[in-house]
Amino acid sequence: MLFAPPDPEILSRRDVIIASLKTIVPDGVVEAPSDLSAYESDALPSYRQRPLVAVLPKSAEQVCAILRYAAQAGVPIVPRGAGTSLSGGALPRADGILIGMGRMSRILEIDYENRCVTLEPGVTNAAITRAVEAEGFYYAPDPSSQIACTIGGNIAENSGGLHCLKYGLTTNNLMGVKFVLPGGEMITLGGKAHASAGLDLLGLITGSEGLLGMVVEATVRIIRKAPVTRTMLASFDAVPDAGACVAAIIGDGVVPAAMEFMDRKTIGAVEAYNAPGYPADAEAILIIDADGTEAEVADAMARIKIHVEACKGRLREATETKARAKMWQGRKAAFAAMGRLQPDMICMDGTIPRHALPRVLEGIAAMSEQYGLGCCNVFHAGDGNLHPLIIFDAMKPGELDKAEAFGADILRLCVKVGGVLTGEHGVGIEKRDLMTEMFSEADLDQQHRVKCAFDSGGLFNPGKVFPTLAACVEQGHMHVRGAQLPHPHLPRF
Amino acid sequence: MCAVRNCPIPICRASDDPHLLMTTVSNENEIVDFVAVARESRTPFEIVGGGTRRGAGKPMLGEGKPLPVLDVSGLTGIVEYQPEELIITARPGTSLAELKAVLAEKNQCLGFDPVAWSLFGATGKPTLGGAASADASGSGRLRYGPPRDSLLGFRAVNGFGQAFRGGAKVVKNVTGFDLPKLMCGSFGTLGVLSELTFRVYPRASHRVTLMLRDQNPEKGFAALRTIWKSALEPSGLAYIPASADLSLGDVGPENIGGGAALIRFEAAQTVLAEKIAATKTLIGDVTLLEQGEAIFAAIGEGALFKASDLDVWRLSVPPSEAARVANALNAPLWLGDWAGGLLWIGAEAQDAPRIRAQAQQAGGHAMLLRAPAIRRAALGIFPPQSPALVAVTASVKAAFDPLGLFNPGRL
Repeated sequence: MLFAPPDPEILSRRDVIIASLKTIVPDGVVEAPSDLSAYESDALPSYRQRPLVAVLPKSAEQVCAILRYAAQAGVPIVPRGAGTSLSGGALPRADGILIGMGRMSRILEIDYENRCVTLEPGVTNAAITRAVEAEGFYYAPDPSSQIACTIGGNIAENSGGLHCLKYGLTTNNLMGVKFVLPGGEMITLGGKAHASAGLDLLGLITGSEGLLGMVVEATVRIIRKAPVTRTMLASFDAVPDAGACVAAIIGDGVVPAAMEFMDRKTIGAVEAYNAPGYPADAEAILIIDADGTEAEVADAMARIKIHVEACKGRLREATETKARAKMWQGRKAAFAAMGRLQPDMICMDGTIPRHALPRVLEGIAAMSEQYGLGCCNVFHAGDGNLHPLIIFDAMKPGELDKAEAFGADILRLCVKVGGVLTGEHGVGIEKRDLMTEMFSEADLDQQHRVKCAFDSGGLFNPGKVFPTLAACVEQGHMHVRGAQLPHPHLPRF
Repeated sequence: MCAVRNCPIPICRASDDPHLLMTTVSNENEIVDFVAVARESRTPFEIVGGGTRRGAGKPMLGEGKPLPVLDVSGLTGIVEYQPEELIITARPGTSLAELKAVLAEKNQCLGFDPVAWSLFGATGKPTLGGAASADASGSGRLRYGPPRDSLLGFRAVNGFGQAFRGGAKVVKNVTGFDLPKLMCGSFGTLGVLSELTFRVYPRASHRVTLMLRDQNPEKGFAALRTIWKSALEPSGLAYIPASADLSLGDVGPENIGGGAALIRFEAAQTVLAEKIAATKTLIGDVTLLEQGEAIFAAIGEGALFKASDLDVWRLSVPPSEAARVANALNAPLWLGDWAGGLLWIGAEAQDAPRIRAQAQQAGGHAMLLRAPAIRRAALGIFPPQSPALVAVTASVKAAFDPLGLFNPGRL
């Protein structure tokens, strides 16, 4: 059981709740079961739950009114952006109102002089860049779902992407929000000015996974696009050599725009899938992007070359857009390629200290033997964010359970070597019961009290992030069936 | 006499409870023990590290007598430093000077460019914990962000007497609430820090400061924004008006003309040449300054105001509003940093309402950094907030410190 059972008293009031919501958003209440099924899961499809009702506000005032009503009526709330969460952050509740923010999708102001864009939460991540790229700017955080995911969801999850090490996560690129508290009152945090006044609540609500309130407007930082980007592919005969090379590059003061690691199994799988031309005999490869001005990129590439050679690696370089895309195509197809090997896949998301990579990969290989399941590893090597992909066949009895236990063991290992449960996908529902692996009771108590400071009624996204006595499920992954990702049009890397 | 080393408060009389008068701790367990006693006796206290920033923040609520002091300056030392992981873990009493030196050996630095705020005139050793707690960052913050963008994890003791951690020791983490953000700029009101883990950044081998002279505020700030909006990644963009005398040779009044826009870059030498050429293309003929590093250090420290007795304000405003606000205030002593996002303003007491109003109109806020205690008490260091924000802030504070033990009233 994932949640406490739905409150029958709330279920019995469904008609009244729907009628009340219709007075607030006359044209935006979804109540028919067939229509509600569209909201029953996010990108973690092994968990499904139809909401009591969904409401689709069009303005901040409507959001305030909905939250005021929900507080008075004592009904749980689950906020939802585009529903691309990989951790079940937008999983509805049978006794809860799902608030879909997709209709609040206007870009309100583009201010180049102050390098920021003010927008509603339903604007997609990629739309921000589209709106400013003609002037040479872009929005840096680039989660793989960026063509669909919304800025509101990005803020809730503190979304990352391939370029975090150099350009930061959402939290480092968010300047201000208008935020509605669980009681329906709106506060303004930050804005176009650099520094905050008082406690940094903006930093706190970013990545709070919908537990503290709802963003109804955001101001984000935009960055001038680097004039030059080049890509390198380094291949190694041994994993420790690749690991040492990453450490040497970072230790030398080079911060690549992206640095991706793939192990032998992944290389083989993607080579069979879309033939990116990776060296077939390599135990590990690194794909590295350097960006900046001409001289900066030349300097970075020269230094990277020295370290690759010192670590017994072989280097290829790509300058033209087409050649760069070819180098990247295997990495970007890694998830899809796994689907060829087995019908099902789960994707883990721990972060480890980079120096622990050889040890963790050995540990994963041993677990793979022990569980009798395959596992390929891709790794955001720059920032230590590891994505092991466990492949299995859920139609074989017991295999899903084994895969889930394997995944939980991987996350335990990540924590044991000094890492964390999740680097970018969020805790949500799936890693909730592993939180005690990473945090002590006192740590969790402190976080829980912060939750209560915002939401004393416990109505906001209940059952997410914090472990409860009601559930003890070993989880921690994204589940893919039949090589079909939950949002098949989205690349996942 | 107060036993805190280098305490800037001349007379610091004993409290009635000798046990709590001045306690020095050197590890987390001792903090836990101390907080247990303070909880038991409901005794609020002041947390002091190097004692250099005690003049900042609102005067604390000591009911007419000085609060007992918890001296954390003995919580020193680097716990863990892994250059290739880009992280350093240190105890909060570690001096900034030591930390900078250790990082410099590996060609690294703290991204938030910590400053000591020498304008307070204190003689103690500024510490890491103090800089983070006070959100004290200099001109370099423009490039890598404030302390909150670098603090990855911490350990602290809360007002329940429990040692706890927030965040982690890796550069990318979204597990649980981002409590490290809250600790930065909290002025010690949420807990007693016992350990801090920061992300560190490469320190470039070379740096250069360029000056565009004879610029009025409109033109000067516009030039700075041109560089800020480019792909050149400057590490400092400051404006010195004609009226400001930093007493540093090549930005003296005779050299800067009607005001100077200062641009700093940090990079490898070959890269710097390219950036200098690009700057000239973008904003015109600039000159290289010999004392650039000293000038930017002086700006971050607030050195311009050290010898004056004016109230000192830090206005955070959208950069495009900097010139308008500066002209409207026409302050006797001022300068701009962060491409105009920060205005340091020295002003007379009666100017306070005007300063707060101008900052607010511009879409920012004015922080009262240095003023006599009576004015800090009356005005608050930050402007009044909406009732909803006041309420939620109080709830968050209570979630860490329900009895109001830590630096009561300082924020």
